[in-house]
Amino acid sequence: MTDASTRPPAPAHSEADWYQERLPRAIRPHRSHPLRTLTAVTLVVALASLLGISSAYLVIEREQPLDAVSIGPWQAYPRAGTAEADPYSVAIYTRGAVIPLASGEGLALVAREDSTGHLLDPTCIYRIYGQTPSARLWTMTAVDGHGRLVETLPGRVHLASQNLLRNPDGSFDITAATKPQSGNWLPLAASASASDGLRFVLRLYDAPVTTGAALDGVSMPAIERQGCP
Amino acid sequence: MTLSPRFNLTVGVLATLCLAAIIHILVVLSIPHNVQHSAFDNVAKHGPDRQFNLLPDLKPGQEVLPDLDPAMKHAACRFELADGPVLFDASIPVSFWSIGLFNSAGEAVYSLNNRTAGAERLSMLVITTEQLSILRENPPENLEDLIVIETNEISGFALLRAFVPHPSKADTVDKALMAANCGTMG
Repeated sequence: MTDASTRPPAPAHSEADWYQERLPRAIRPHRSHPLRTLTAVTLVVALASLLGISSAYLVIEREQPLDAVSIGPWQAYPRAGTAEADPYSVAIYTRGAVIPLASGEGLALVAREDSTGHLLDPTCIYRIYGQTPSARLWTMTAVDGHGRLVETLPGRVHLASQNLLRNPDGSFDITAATKPQSGNWLPLAASASASDGLRFVLRLYDAPVTTGAALDGVSMPAIERQGCP
Repeated sequence: MTLSPRFNLTVGVLATLCLAAIIHILVVLSIPHNVQHSAFDNVAKHGPDRQFNLLPDLKPGQEVLPDLDPAMKHAACRFELADGPVLFDASIPVSFWSIGLFNSAGEAVYSLNNRTAGAERLSMLVITTEQLSILRENPPENLEDLIVIETNEISGFALLRAFVPHPSKADTVDKALMAANCGTMG
């Protein structure tokens, strides 16, 4: 490598210079820069690895399979955990070692947001009301943002359809809150901060709607935020 | 060949994106093969193969398997069909129970509940096609009454779920699940 200061100054009007400048860029003689090429290739590979791995991690970590069936705030993944599952569902389910509810058993629906689209917050009070699709039995469970059970004041974390108080028309009203409530009370985490997250899981057992197509047009309970401290 | 800096940059960005997409796909596809604790492995922690092992009740912080219903009691049985067909036999006196058969990758193979079983008692035979043709040559008397499931999945597990309508019923359900059979024929 020659230092720029020690290099003799280039003649101002040499023929070679004039000739090189007027050639189109694409056919100008190519001088290889092995160091520059290596840096560029390394940069491309490093950036691509970073992008590819982090995007895969983000998708898997969200724990939301892609082929979801949404009804209001509720989402179901009828194909996850079967042989027809998409690769993302397969990755999420095998990574979490989740044993899915098989189609002959029932269908699990998860709500991460309320009916207006706000993320559920375990410090708030929610009213869950309406009807569920027909099922021989259903249970409603409150879990944290990672799907884990939480400590509640009464120790119970679920409600079952058999023990529910119902309105004369068969619909129901559930109040999800940390503190005891009258009527159907679904206890939320006794000590929770908003960042812990909250999900409601509705499991319909022996329901005719276990296939995705049958889920069109069924009525699902609405989730309404009543108030936050 | 010398190209303009803008063209070089475009090629670089495109190459990065294509390579990133390939890496993304490879990572997602490789996760199932690199999982350290699959559901199939986790089930084995609760007792020996070829018998229903009652899973402890689901409590916050002590969930034996993720994403199970706290309203239910569960029993799991792991089996290898290479050791012979598996006969499931259970009688659970509650309003709802169900059984799911899963292969070693955790995919549901077959499932039924106490209404679709058609009888109060669960009696189900899981068998490979080869074993079934051998069995047909000399069929046992009760083959007609069994739900026969032909499968090519050699290893897998079954998860039996039973609804506990009231805590006072918990003991009855426990006993019924522990008495459930996941063994060989005859």
